[in-house]
Amino acid sequence: MKALKIIIFVIIMGTVSSALLVGMNSFTEPMISKNEELKLKSAVLDTLEIPYDKLTALNIFKDKVKVLTADKDKFFISNDGTAAFEFYGPGLWGPISGVASINSDLSTIKTIKILHQEETPGLGSRISEHGFLKQFRGKAFMPRLIFMPEGKASANNEVDAITGATGSSKALERLLNGVLQKNAGLLKEQLNK
Amino acid sequence: MSPKKTVKRSFKHAKWFKAFTAGLWQDHPTFCMVLGICSMLAVTNRMNNAIAMGLGVTFCTAFSSLFISIFRNVIPSRVRMLAYMVIIATFVICVDRFLKAYFPPISEELGPYVGLIITNCILMGRAEAYAIKNGPLLSTLDGLGCGIGYTFMLILMALVRETIGFGTLLGYRVMPGSWVNWVVMTIAPGAFFLLGVYLWIFRTIAKKTEA
Amino acid sequence: MNTTNPLVLLVATIFTHNIALVYILGMCPFIVISKNFKTALGMGAAIIFVVTLTAIINWPIYWLILVPAHAEIVSYLIFIVVIAATVQLLEMLIEKFFPPLQSSFGIFLPLITVNCIVLAVLLFMVLRKYDFVQTVFYSVGTSAGWALAIIIMAAIKEKMMLVSDIPKGLRGAGITMIIAGLLAFAFMGFAGMITLQ
Repeated sequence: MKALKIIIFVIIMGTVSSALLVGMNSFTEPMISKNEELKLKSAVLDTLEIPYDKLTALNIFKDKVKVLTADKDKFFISNDGTAAFEFYGPGLWGPISGVASINSDLSTIKTIKILHQEETPGLGSRISEHGFLKQFRGKAFMPRLIFMPEGKASANNEVDAITGATGSSKALERLLNGVLQKNAGLLKEQLNK
Repeated sequence: MSPKKTVKRSFKHAKWFKAFTAGLWQDHPTFCMVLGICSMLAVTNRMNNAIAMGLGVTFCTAFSSLFISIFRNVIPSRVRMLAYMVIIATFVICVDRFLKAYFPPISEELGPYVGLIITNCILMGRAEAYAIKNGPLLSTLDGLGCGIGYTFMLILMALVRETIGFGTLLGYRVMPGSWVNWVVMTIAPGAFFLLGVYLWIFRTIAKKTEA
Repeated sequence: MNTTNPLVLLVATIFTHNIALVYILGMCPFIVISKNFKTALGMGAAIIFVVTLTAIINWPIYWLILVPAHAEIVSYLIFIVVIAATVQLLEMLIEKFFPPLQSSFGIFLPLITVNCIVLAVLLFMVLRKYDFVQTVFYSVGTSAGWALAIIIMAAIKEKMMLVSDIPKGLRGAGITMIIAGLLAFAFMGFAGMITLQ
């Protein structure tokens, strides 16, 4: 009898709280998925350097960006042939993710934007700062993008690494080289088809 | 138990006042009981994260205490832990969803630590020590007091860690331009050291020491 | 999908990404139970067992039931109910079949229900989209890392109790925090050895 009472109590409690949560879910789910969509699309617009504001971002994206799907990868291509794509990979402390765009020559970088990283605050986390990322503009990533000690970068495929954050710089170098070369190759194939 | 007999009717001695203020100083969740340290250390390197976390915890302690207290006569004692967990989890999920829907950047910064409010010992502690034995009003006040005391501590931690570690407060620059950030304050070891020092100071003042 | 090698995950979660010293989780028992070396060993063993077991049970529940049913919102609820049930079951089994273990291992089980690292492992498992094998290695590594941290802490504190003259206000939790800070520094030395995705 007592056990039955306990079981009934647990079942009622479970049902009530699940019902409450499902209600909450239907209320917040559209907003959450909209937030996520907005986040990706505005990051893509940023890297393609198409001006937008929060309210019009989704419409501008629809008008000006062509989405090309190749297997699992998605490319976002603007009118002038610039292509943007998402990238993920390991950093020193945790995953790094972001969006990168390459010019229509498929061998130089336009912009790079880091969306998420867990590097050491103030040192490795500087990889997501504008001051560091702006030096990538126009750099060639073929045959290889090279991170030089700070202040030493001179050639067209060299950028300054971050002093005091060797691990994070190395991780980002490896990540960007892999993803840029692979995606440029994929994109070339797709466009020639 | 019989408030009518008390001679002094000053509100300072009223039961509701005591319930509310206990968590603020006398039984402060962090200093006296050393509870809920995990999220305290992990999210306090930025002030806005600390405030969001504190409000989330306060909301959860107040409401879970209220509901546990309302149902205190219905909950079978064999499964009371489970019942606390389910009630607490329900409110925590609400907070998680709310942050995701309305404050996505903060939700992203806090990451799994919002979900981990469920296992924040403060909530379970208050449920077992207070809410299961007392009426709804007093329990809510008790939960609220504990939550606010905890938030206050989070803010104290973030105040030092963000100003020294990043040179900013709530994202605004407060330190002079020549300030060199103490990166150690923003990562785990700095958090441990700072809390250790705080515990030392407050326990010396409050004369509550351990053997 | 996450492509990290499971073995890398195992080593990383013990050393470079130690859950106690880098992610600062599981602190309540870390402070309270680290006074005695033997107790710390028992707690560590109990944690490894429970974390691995709950991760193994919850992985299929999440990916094979909750995700196809679009019921991710109740995942936290399910997780804690599974944790509570597993712990309860273990307690009964130990009491019935292995009574000698009761005093060294069993008494820690109820404490584990409210230990954040059990839930944290499940949340990270979902967040980082580990597959089943990765989840197993991740949970073993994480809990072993936590056990390692609490055992080191208990050993240091036991020595300190005998020889050091700690200021009154700093005793107990205060000094534990300072030691933990130094340990965290030591563990940061492992950084860069392995990277995680």
